[in-house]
Amino acid sequence: MDRRIVITGMGLVSPAGDAADLADAVRAGRSAVAPIRQFDASAFPSSIGGEIPDDFDPSNGVRKEQRRYIKKNTKVMSRDILMGLGAANRAILDTGLPIGDDGQPPLPTIDHARFGMVFGTSFIPTTLDDLAGPVRAAQADAEVNLNDWGAKGIPQMFPLWLLKHLPNMHACHTGVLWDAQGPSNSLTCSDAGGLVALDEAVRIMARGIANLMLAGGAESRVSPLLLMRYALLHRLVTAAEDPASASRPFDRDRLGWVVAEGAAAVMLEFRDAAEARGARIWGEVLGTGVSTMTGGINACDADGRGVALAVRRALDAAGVEPADLGAVYAHGPALEQQDRGEAAGLAAALGDAARSVPVTATKGVTGHMGAVSGLADLAVACHLARDGLVPPILNCHTPDPEVRLNLVTGEAREMKGDLVLVTTNAIGGQTAAAVVRVNR
Amino acid sequence: MTRRVVITGIGTANPLGMTVEESWQGLLAGKSGIRPIFIFDASTFPTTFAAQVADFDLADYVRNPDEFTRAGRNVRFAMAAGRRAMEDAGLLEAQVDTDRFGIYLGSGEGVLDFQTLVHSIAVGLNDSGSVDTVRFAQAGLQRYDAFSELEQEPNMPANHLAHEYGLRGPAYSCLTACAASTQALGEALDLIRTGRADLMLSGGTHSMIHPLGVTGFNLLTAISTEPKDEPWRASRPFDRDRGGFVLGEGSTIMILEELEHAQARGARLWAELVGFGTSADAYRMTDIHPEGRGPAAAMQMALDDAGVRPADVDYISAHGTGTQENDRVETLTIKLVFGDEAYKTPVSSVKSALGHLIAAAGATELMTCVLAIRDQVLPPTLNLDTPDPECDLDYIPHTARQAEVEVCLSNSFGFGGQNDCLVVRRFVP
Repeated sequence: MDRRIVITGMGLVSPAGDAADLADAVRAGRSAVAPIRQFDASAFPSSIGGEIPDDFDPSNGVRKEQRRYIKKNTKVMSRDILMGLGAANRAILDTGLPIGDDGQPPLPTIDHARFGMVFGTSFIPTTLDDLAGPVRAAQADAEVNLNDWGAKGIPQMFPLWLLKHLPNMHACHTGVLWDAQGPSNSLTCSDAGGLVALDEAVRIMARGIANLMLAGGAESRVSPLLLMRYALLHRLVTAAEDPASASRPFDRDRLGWVVAEGAAAVMLEFRDAAEARGARIWGEVLGTGVSTMTGGINACDADGRGVALAVRRALDAAGVEPADLGAVYAHGPALEQQDRGEAAGLAAALGDAARSVPVTATKGVTGHMGAVSGLADLAVACHLARDGLVPPILNCHTPDPEVRLNLVTGEAREMKGDLVLVTTNAIGGQTAAAVVRVNR
Repeated sequence: MTRRVVITGIGTANPLGMTVEESWQGLLAGKSGIRPIFIFDASTFPTTFAAQVADFDLADYVRNPDEFTRAGRNVRFAMAAGRRAMEDAGLLEAQVDTDRFGIYLGSGEGVLDFQTLVHSIAVGLNDSGSVDTVRFAQAGLQRYDAFSELEQEPNMPANHLAHEYGLRGPAYSCLTACAASTQALGEALDLIRTGRADLMLSGGTHSMIHPLGVTGFNLLTAISTEPKDEPWRASRPFDRDRGGFVLGEGSTIMILEELEHAQARGARLWAELVGFGTSADAYRMTDIHPEGRGPAAAMQMALDDAGVRPADVDYISAHGTGTQENDRVETLTIKLVFGDEAYKTPVSSVKSALGHLIAAAGATELMTCVLAIRDQVLPPTLNLDTPDPECDLDYIPHTARQAEVEVCLSNSFGFGGQNDCLVVRRFVP
C-alpha cells in the first residue's frame, strides 16, 4: 500500500485574499499592509497591519445547514476561530470530495472516524468590548476590586464568553461542521504552530489511525491586546511612514514585525486514494521536522541551531539533499534576532547549498500572520511552482550582510526542480520545517 | 519492531503535595485538596473554593529563579514538576543526547493581568458601551508589563523547560482543554515509537484559578458552587447530587523513554506506556455525544493499541469530572466498550480529591495509575455518598482498596470534544 501523503486541498484566508490572491500579490510584490481598520490603533506604538478583506465570509461554498450553524454560532467565535473555520472550509471544498446534499451527512464518501485535524492556534485575547459592560458595572475611579467584580461584573458577562477564546475551538467547530471524528489536536506553538500541525497530521496518518487529515493554522495578531504585548516587547515596526514598505524580511534596514492575521489549511490524503478518486494533487509532503530553541523565552539561538535541527530532520525524513531544493520559503518576520537566527540555522543546515538554493519570504507582503505562517507559504509555493517561479522578497532591497543565504530580491527567479523547503520558528521556542514536492 | 516506551521519571506539583509520594499518600488516605480560594479574593464569586497548590520556593527547582519573576503559575508548576521528574529519572547528571530528548506538554495559558486589563478598559469606556482603544492604549502602555504579557503564551512552560535543560528534540505544546496532557503523553509515545526521539519530557501544567478563569467557568455553570462551608464535599463524581467540577491546578511531568535506552543507562522503570487512543466527538461545543461515540472510539483504540482486552484492565482512572453529563456518559461508554467486564472493573475519579487540573489533569491521573500498579492499591472516589442509578459501576467509594493491578486505562475528555485515553501496564521484560 502506498503510504505517501499528498495535499489535495488548500484553503487560505489572508490579508491579500485566498491562496491564489496571495500568490498573485507575492508574485507582483504588492503589499497587503495598511493602517489598521478594525479599531483605532493610532495611540499604539505600531498602528499598521495586514488585515483580511472586509468581505471575508467563512460560509462561502458550504451547505445551507452548515451556513446556519456558522451564523448561529458566530457569537461564540472570535476572529481567530472564524478565520480558521473559513480556511478549513475552503480546504475541504478544494479537495473536490462530494460534500453531500442538505439533509444528508456531510462528505458522504469518506470514513468519518478516520478524518481528523490538527490546528496551530493560540490562546485568543479577549475582545475589549465584551468586558465593557461588566467593567462599567464593577469599576470605581477606573479601578476594579475583586469583590465588586464578583458581585456586579460577573452577572454582566456574556455567558459563553470563555468559549470564544479557547485554542481548540477552531478544530471543534470544523469537526462538528464536517463530522470529523478522528484525532483532533490544537497546538499552541506560536509562530511555528501551522507547520508543527502539519508535522503531527502527517505522523498521525503514518500511524494508521486516519486517512484524511486537515492541518491548519489560524491567528489574528491585529488586536489591541496583542498590539500592546508585542509593542512592549519591542517586536513591532514603529517607524515606517509607508505601510507598504514596513515589513522588510532579511533587509539590513528591517524595522520589526507588522502584525497581521489569517488562517490556512491543507487537506492530506494517501496518494493512492487521492489518485484513485482522480483528485487534483497540489503536492506531496516528503518530510517534516520539529525542534526548539533553548536560549530562553525571549531569545533566538544566535547560531540558529534550533532551526537547523528542524530543517535537517525534515530533509532527512524526506530523503532530500539540500542542493536539490528548488526554493526555500523562510519564516523571515523582519525582526533582527529572529531573521538572523533563522538565516544562521538555514545556512548551517543547507551547507554548501546555501550559496545556490534561492531563499524567499512572503511577510513583506502580508506582515506576520503568526501560526498561519508556514502553511500560507506552502500555499503560495504550490501556486507559484506551477509557473516555475521563486518570488522575490518584497521590501528586501539591501540584504543584511549577516545573512549568508541566496536571497531572492528584485525579480522572481526560475525554480529548478520541484522540491520546496518551508521553515518557521517561534522566538525562544518551537522550530519547524517541511519538505514538499510541489506538483508543477 | 515497535520500540517500547517506559516511564522512567515522574514529578508533580498538585493540590495534595509537591512530591509524588506525598500526593499519593494523601489520595490513599482520602484527603481532599479543596479549600477556599486563597490565591485571590473570590469571596463574592459564585464559586469560592478550588484545589490550589500551596506556596513553594521556585529556587528549589531552577538554576536561576530571576528568570521566572514574571512567570505564571503554569510555568512555576511545570518547572517544579519537571525538575522532580528529571531528578527521578536520574537525568540531571546523565549524559544523554539532548538532540533526541523532546518535549510535549499539554499546557495552559499564563495568568492574565486582570487588574491592568480592567483598569485600561475602564479608562477607555465609552458612553456607547464600547471601549475607546485610544484611551485603552494610553492607559495600558502605562501599566502593562512586557514580560508578564509574554508569559501568557501557552508555549511558555515548554520554552522554559527547553531552556532549563537544553532539550533539542521535537518540541510541542497543545491545548485541547481537559484532554491536553493525555493527548500530549500519547503523541509523545508515538514520537518515541517512531524513532523521532529517545526521551520525551511530557505531561501537563495549568492554572485557571484566576479571576477571569473562575469567571469563565462560572458563566458556563460548569463548576460546582456548593457547599461553600465544606468545599471538600463539592467534588462528587458519580454521586447522584453532583453539581459540576471543582477547579484545580498544578502540573505532572513524566519522562518517557525508549526501553533499550532506559535499560542501557540502568534507569528505574516505573511502568510501560502501551496504548493511546484519540478521537473527536464532532458533536457540540461543550456537550459530550450522548451515546459516548467519541469516548468509546478513543477507549477502544487505546485498548487495541495496547493489545489488551477489557478483561485485562484492572482499573480505569475515569475522567469523572463530577458534572451530571460527563459522569453519566462516561459510565455508559465504559459499559459500551467493556461489556460484561464493566461491572467487574473498578473505576475511580481522583478529581474528587484533586479537583480538575484541566490541561494537567490527564498526566496527574496517569501518575496515579502508575502508583496503583506499584503499590497494588486503588485510589478512592471521595464524596460518593448517594449512588446515581445511571452510574452503577464499581467506583471505589470513600476508601482506597487493595487489588491486583497490572493494567490501567486513563480517560480524558475535553471541552470541545477531544477524547484521549492511555493504557499503562506493569513493565514485564
